[in-house]
Amino acid sequence: MSRPDFDRYPELKQAWNRREFIKRAAAGTAFVALGGALVRIAADDLTKAARAEKRADGRARLPPGQRTLEYLRPMGGDPSDGDVKTFKLRVHGDVKTPFEVDYAGLLKLPQVTKEADVHCVTGWSMLAGVWKGVQISMLAEKAGIKGEAKHVILEAAHGFTANVPLADATKDNCLVTYRLNGKPFQLQHGAPVRGLIPDLYFWKSAKWITGVRFVKDDRPGFWEVRGYHNHADPWKEQRYG
Amino acid sequence: MVDRKRWRAWLRAIHRDVGYLAVGFTIIYAIGGIAMNHVDDWNYTYNSKERTLAIAPVTDDATDEQAAKLVADAAGKGRADDVFRAGDEVRLEYADGTKVTAIGAEVTVQEVKSRFFFRAVTWLHAAKGKQGWKYIADAYAVLLLYLAISGLFMIKGKLGLKWRGTLLVAIGVAVPVVYLYASGGPEAHADPKPRVSDVSS
Repeated sequence: MSRPDFDRYPELKQAWNRREFIKRAAAGTAFVALGGALVRIAADDLTKAARAEKRADGRARLPPGQRTLEYLRPMGGDPSDGDVKTFKLRVHGDVKTPFEVDYAGLLKLPQVTKEADVHCVTGWSMLAGVWKGVQISMLAEKAGIKGEAKHVILEAAHGFTANVPLADATKDNCLVTYRLNGKPFQLQHGAPVRGLIPDLYFWKSAKWITGVRFVKDDRPGFWEVRGYHNHADPWKEQRYG
Repeated sequence: MVDRKRWRAWLRAIHRDVGYLAVGFTIIYAIGGIAMNHVDDWNYTYNSKERTLAIAPVTDDATDEQAAKLVADAAGKGRADDVFRAGDEVRLEYADGTKVTAIGAEVTVQEVKSRFFFRAVTWLHAAKGKQGWKYIADAYAVLLLYLAISGLFMIKGKLGLKWRGTLLVAIGVAVPVVYLYASGGPEAHADPKPRVSDVSS
């Protein structure tokens, strides 16, 4: 549309300026929205590729209702001081020889490196992370777990807990981990040490871990008593209890 | 009988002054609201940066001081406030919260900076738990109601409620109503999903 003759029709000037402003604002908004849409489309390609894959156990690589991200998304929580010097991990409960290790002691225990996917209950998954740490099964063995223990409580800073059945927590990919893809965790992701229970929703992988407690009776944890599913199997979409 | 012209002039004058009063509050609530709406996508309280560098690996026979200097120099940082070595790790900590970790031939520099502005506006936005601010926020809400209602009657004629105003008000009311209807409303979303920021994963 051509510009009106403002000398002849001065009363149109304000309306025209307003129209130009609205056009430019709409164009800017469309540009930003389009950028966001492109990001979504790119991310969807990763999700589609992951959905086409199968795990070794025959299940889909990506559980239902999940989309992939290439990084861990910060999800909040009440962090510890993140300090390796003050870090202590207590292994206790229904065990014959409870013990406590500091950070240096943890690194002296038998170490494993595992590739694992993780799945957040809010709908994102991060695939193929390489996690280094100590297996929970190794901690159970070292502490001499008693026969009656059937559950594991991961204890974390400020009283956070997450309960996991012993059979799940002692799988070979379940760790007390301090390194992802060769790097230490950022504080927001649980530094210095966090849990890793990759085949359950990620809230079970308690950040800022302080203890591993083996117990006979199940004790629902922080989120489990707030309406979240007690088991949290992503392939069964056990999000809420 | 009140002079209609004079009545509308008063309405406009008060609307103008209330508008001036509301500017600061509106900026706080609008920016804080946008920041909190997108909590899934960013951390509005802290900005975390991470970079990695390659170095010649620290040898086992290096003293703590030698190891710390090698890593600090590689990271372009000065003398660390604290040094910790365990296994194959050398960790340096600085008073500003920066953490530098060398693992073999790789150094990771993690910096965390507080987002002062966004922390402040989101803290103010969430009135819960702030006894005094709660009443100030209530007063602002009343001012907003005045702005909305007085705005309906400020201009008469075609540009007022008669035509343009009615259309725009109808659109403004229709958007939330249609969304409520289309989404099923709160009843359809009554699961116990908490705020994403509360989920520890």
